[in-house]
Amino acid sequence: MAGGGNTAWIIEAQSIGRRFGTQNVLADIKLQISEGEIFGLLGPDGAGKTTLMQILAAILDPTEGACRVLGFDTVKQTASITSRIGYMSQGFTLYDRLTVDENLSFAAGVRGIEGSVFQQRRQRLLAMAGLTQFGGRRAGNLSGGMRKKLSLCSNLIHEPPLLLLDELSLGVDPVSRRELWQMLREFRESGATIVVTTPYMDEADYCDRLALLDHGQILALDSPDALRRRGEGTVFELTTNRAKEVLKVLTDRPELSGLQWLGTVLHILLRSATTLPNDIVQALQNLGQLQPVPASLEDVFVQMTAPESAVQAPAFVPSSPSPDSTAELDVVQLKGVTCRFGDFTAVDNVSLNVPAGEVFGFLGPNGAGKTTLIRAMCALLKPASGELRVAGVDVVKEPMRLRSRIGYMSQRFSLYTELTVAENLSFFAGVYGIDGHPRVEAIAWASDMIGLSGMEDRKVQELSAALRQRLALACSVLHRPAVLFLDEPTSGVDPVSRQRFWQLIQSLASTGMAIFVTTHYLEEATYCHRLGLMYEGRLIAAGSIPALRSGLSMKEATRMETIFMAYIDREKKAAPLTEAVS
Amino acid sequence: MNRHRLMAVVAKESREIIRDPITVGVSVLLPLVMLFLFGYAISLDVEDVALGVLDQDKSPASRALSDSFVQSGYFRLISDFKTVDEVEDALQRGRVKMTLVIPPRFHAALVRKESPAVQILVDGTYSATALVAANYAQTIVAGFRQPARPSPIQLETRVWYNAPMRSVNYVVPGLYAVILMAFPPLLTALALVREKESGSIQQIFASPLTPAEFIVGKLIPYGLIAFAQMIMVISLGFFWFQVPFQGNLGFLLATALIFVFCTVGIGLLVSTITRSQLTAMLLALIITLMPSFLFSGFLFPIFTMPYVLQLYTTLFPARYFVELSRGIVLKGGGLEVLWVNVAVLLLYTLVVFWLAAWRFRKKVA
Amino acid sequence: MRLTSLLTKEIIQFSRDRVILLLILWLYTIEVVICAYALSFDVKHLPLAAVDQDRSVASRALLEKFSTSEAFDIAGYPSTMAEAGSWLDGGKASLVVVIPEQFDRDLRRGAVPMVQLLLDGSNSNTAAIARGYTAQILDRFQQEWKLDGVTSAVQVEPVLRVWYNPNQTYTSFMVLSMIALAALMVGVIHPAASIVREKEVGTIEQLMVTPIRIGELFLAKTAPTLAIGLLSVFPSLLIVWWFGVPLRGSLLLFLLLTALFLLSAIGIGVLVAAVSKTLQQALLLSFFGLFPLMFLSGTLVPVESMPEFLQTLSLASPLRYYMDVILGIFLKGAGMAELWPQALALLVIGSLLFWVAIGVFRRQLA
Repeated sequence: MAGGGNTAWIIEAQSIGRRFGTQNVLADIKLQISEGEIFGLLGPDGAGKTTLMQILAAILDPTEGACRVLGFDTVKQTASITSRIGYMSQGFTLYDRLTVDENLSFAAGVRGIEGSVFQQRRQRLLAMAGLTQFGGRRAGNLSGGMRKKLSLCSNLIHEPPLLLLDELSLGVDPVSRRELWQMLREFRESGATIVVTTPYMDEADYCDRLALLDHGQILALDSPDALRRRGEGTVFELTTNRAKEVLKVLTDRPELSGLQWLGTVLHILLRSATTLPNDIVQALQNLGQLQPVPASLEDVFVQMTAPESAVQAPAFVPSSPSPDSTAELDVVQLKGVTCRFGDFTAVDNVSLNVPAGEVFGFLGPNGAGKTTLIRAMCALLKPASGELRVAGVDVVKEPMRLRSRIGYMSQRFSLYTELTVAENLSFFAGVYGIDGHPRVEAIAWASDMIGLSGMEDRKVQELSAALRQRLALACSVLHRPAVLFLDEPTSGVDPVSRQRFWQLIQSLASTGMAIFVTTHYLEEATYCHRLGLMYEGRLIAAGSIPALRSGLSMKEATRMETIFMAYIDREKKAAPLTEAVS
Repeated sequence: MNRHRLMAVVAKESREIIRDPITVGVSVLLPLVMLFLFGYAISLDVEDVALGVLDQDKSPASRALSDSFVQSGYFRLISDFKTVDEVEDALQRGRVKMTLVIPPRFHAALVRKESPAVQILVDGTYSATALVAANYAQTIVAGFRQPARPSPIQLETRVWYNAPMRSVNYVVPGLYAVILMAFPPLLTALALVREKESGSIQQIFASPLTPAEFIVGKLIPYGLIAFAQMIMVISLGFFWFQVPFQGNLGFLLATALIFVFCTVGIGLLVSTITRSQLTAMLLALIITLMPSFLFSGFLFPIFTMPYVLQLYTTLFPARYFVELSRGIVLKGGGLEVLWVNVAVLLLYTLVVFWLAAWRFRKKVA
Repeated sequence: MRLTSLLTKEIIQFSRDRVILLLILWLYTIEVVICAYALSFDVKHLPLAAVDQDRSVASRALLEKFSTSEAFDIAGYPSTMAEAGSWLDGGKASLVVVIPEQFDRDLRRGAVPMVQLLLDGSNSNTAAIARGYTAQILDRFQQEWKLDGVTSAVQVEPVLRVWYNPNQTYTSFMVLSMIALAALMVGVIHPAASIVREKEVGTIEQLMVTPIRIGELFLAKTAPTLAIGLLSVFPSLLIVWWFGVPLRGSLLLFLLLTALFLLSAIGIGVLVAAVSKTLQQALLLSFFGLFPLMFLSGTLVPVESMPEFLQTLSLASPLRYYMDVILGIFLKGAGMAELWPQALALLVIGSLLFWVAIGVFRRQLA
């Protein structure tokens, strides 16, 4: 129900800009969104998505340009907008001490929805979200996915014509994510317009149109398919086992904007509208199997944001652990590991062997036990039962000995923000007992590898998320551990940096380090040698992607998400489900 | 202001408060602790001062003098010293707080109508009580006549308000102001800043709630808590500490209500200018708790402060409420006498609220 | 070497932490200065209303004695008793002196006139002192007018000597008391803040994965506090000198006993950190939890004037002994011979707190 205006656009942004201090967070944003659209804003952290959403919701004024929402000006007619829309800000925006019902009745009371209308809508929404029997539970005791669903319900209680959702699915497991999108699609049926932001490229497909946002500017605005078509003919994959020669061919090619190893397959990304010269194509075809592949959204994004300088080929050969490595040589051996908190079983009878040089990825919904298992492997908590041998040490019996042989990078990049880059590196070196000349060497090696030279005197709090991530990685490998644990290391970082980070991981693995990674980015699963799917504390599947596919007799082109959901569905059918409470 | 929206905020805030056991616990315990601590511990009454006597005369007159000290009730004889060294040692160790030194030939001097001098040595370290004790001592000595005679001028003293001169009666009414100043601003400040920090405030921005509805809605529960604290403290003061109540209870409660809103409003103002709970807490403590404790006239009299600092104290609402509270409880004063304080408090409250509402914009930045 | 790295990091963090630095600065300087200037229990400039019903030479002479006294300021001369009463009610005067009719004549004839004193007893302390001063003024008046010569009684002259604080100002006490408090606050807040910060951010978890031992971490969190506490003694000496408070005892002894006191403070700080999850909780707990402690330890009011059971309770407070130490060393020039009971108490309490703190710290991190 657009009012007071002569246009039919639900949202019309005319060259909006927003400055904070001296920084231009948004510049020259032009948008026109029509009724009934599901519109997606994609981009990494710091791109300006949240700022733009806040401007659209009229809770932040632009410093340049003007914006009309539902026909009202966001600056001069704020109240008309805020009384009509639904806005879900980042993070969890509920009142944790209030129950589900109380949260809903607050949202309704504030919007003047009461009586029988309220009751009707409440019942319908809770049913849609699967929360009907949780009416009396405190919001703080719900799992991440349930909280997001409740948040969404609070914003749907007044059936707004426009719904603005900032990072709807951040930190939410794929199962809940599917349910959220189902709710959104149902809601759209009634004619509402929905604007969503997300860092996950795989969600982009649910939108009618997308805007790719980077450094405050819109790089591209189109439907997902149209965007993917832009990359047509610029993406190839080369299956080879003559990696060194391939790299020589591809070094310093100006046509390239990205190179990524996926196991033994090299993913080659050209710059937009370029082609490889024929002689290169010939050379590659001699070294392996070269075939064009359809571009993904991430590919397109990388193309648009890749720096001008020539792409450096990953300067290493990816390792592939020989298939017949014996169990005793495995660097990590887990047998029947179980961890309990009170009567809640966080990790249930997990057994796993990982050889040196393997990159092993843990995937799974929140609360599945990934973090708990990793912490058990690092001797941060004691398992209730089971054997753990990591880097040749019995973790339970000799936790102290373990510590100098492992590296750990936690989700929050545990760096000391008031200290400079150099001071952090120096601290961690000292803590691992490296001093004098070896310390200088180790720091030089680490800085060089992660590309931090020249930034030694900058305080960590001034660094971007991507740089901090690399620094945290450096600090965790100064002592050349045998096993490295990375817990969600790429949260919120832009695709280019993410790829670079994964190159680093792979190059470390090629030196013989075993690396455990947990991630929510399903597209990153392809960078790992093997994957472990965890669900409700159990390791429900483990193996390389082809192995996982054949385990369920799936086709080769099956997407990661589908494989993932299929295993979970199988698991759900096997045992009765009680909604996981985090 | 829409009543339904307002009530929605009140309901939410109340529920949140009740389910925070720490807040509830501290709200109840803290005033009690403060009340009992201050009520019992702050006694500026001087009694049982540890006294030592160095009697170098040992005559009937000297004994009469030292007896008069003990009989006054203010002093307690700890020891009879024999040498000056003993005196020094005892004073230094703190075994006695005061020593009376009666010189040799004291009696003889009196008989010859010469005015003998008697030394009073006081440990001045805790000068508050030292002062009073010294005062008593001097008065006793100056009034000592041998033989006992009435003095040429008779001084009749009548004590108005707090005739028993218990310092509890002085402290407890002032305590009402301090307790109300200690906790409500802190709670309110934190309540709002917490929403800012967690981001739930953005939901509030993007809703039909007006700033006034939101602010008032948040304040009502905290105001009620503060008021309940007030009633608890007043009743305890009256029933447990037996602070006599001379004035009109209704008048006290009415002014208390204004003061409550004033302090709660200050907490609110603080929250509109800070972004983190940490800064909010520190700011609230520095501008409310400490001044109310030190500069409101609660414990330390204002009239002895340098003039500049006296002006400084006029900035704090606690000062006015302390006067009101004492004026009503001890002096039985009414509106005709105390209207200035009431007016100032009202004005202060209105200004604070107006400032807070003006600063609170429904915009993120 | 691990310990060195930890300590280096702590020192760098501390030097860049503006909030805590400012807090410490504030506690040690501005706080002390304001309080020292403002707070006192002395009676000065007390507003006095005089009702002179005689208006004779004698009555005016007596009133002049009042007006020249430092303790009183004449607020005015109400004409009636009722008016004087309303002045008391409204707080315009804190006491009223009523000189009766025939005052002068009665004095000459040897009759005993009665001077009335109406006291506002709200502040009993002030009232008691005011009464004492009034009595003394009357005595001096009597002497000057040689009234006693008529009755030939002999008076005894009291010579007052105040030891250790000859000016009898509350200032010295206040300054030293504030410094002791500041030491307590810093000793508690610094380790608490430092530990809780790491908990909040998550770096503690990172440290637990490295070869660092819990004991090393504990030391790294507490040793800097000791250093800071001892170093802060020096700037506070400046303030002490500024206010003219003497230092009669040994500085070295003071440093030693301060170190002992800091043990207790640090122990408390670590315990606070153990139960707090956020910095805000830690600070709240420190302020409000320390409040009763500060109070019962004689920082405002001497312990002796508290009821028995509170006095017994105060025996457990390290601050109480430290107050004795700081007052003793600065004002009384006391040495170890006099202060050994306090030193012993500080040692015992400090070690106990410290030991408990280590235990709790270990258990939390293990």
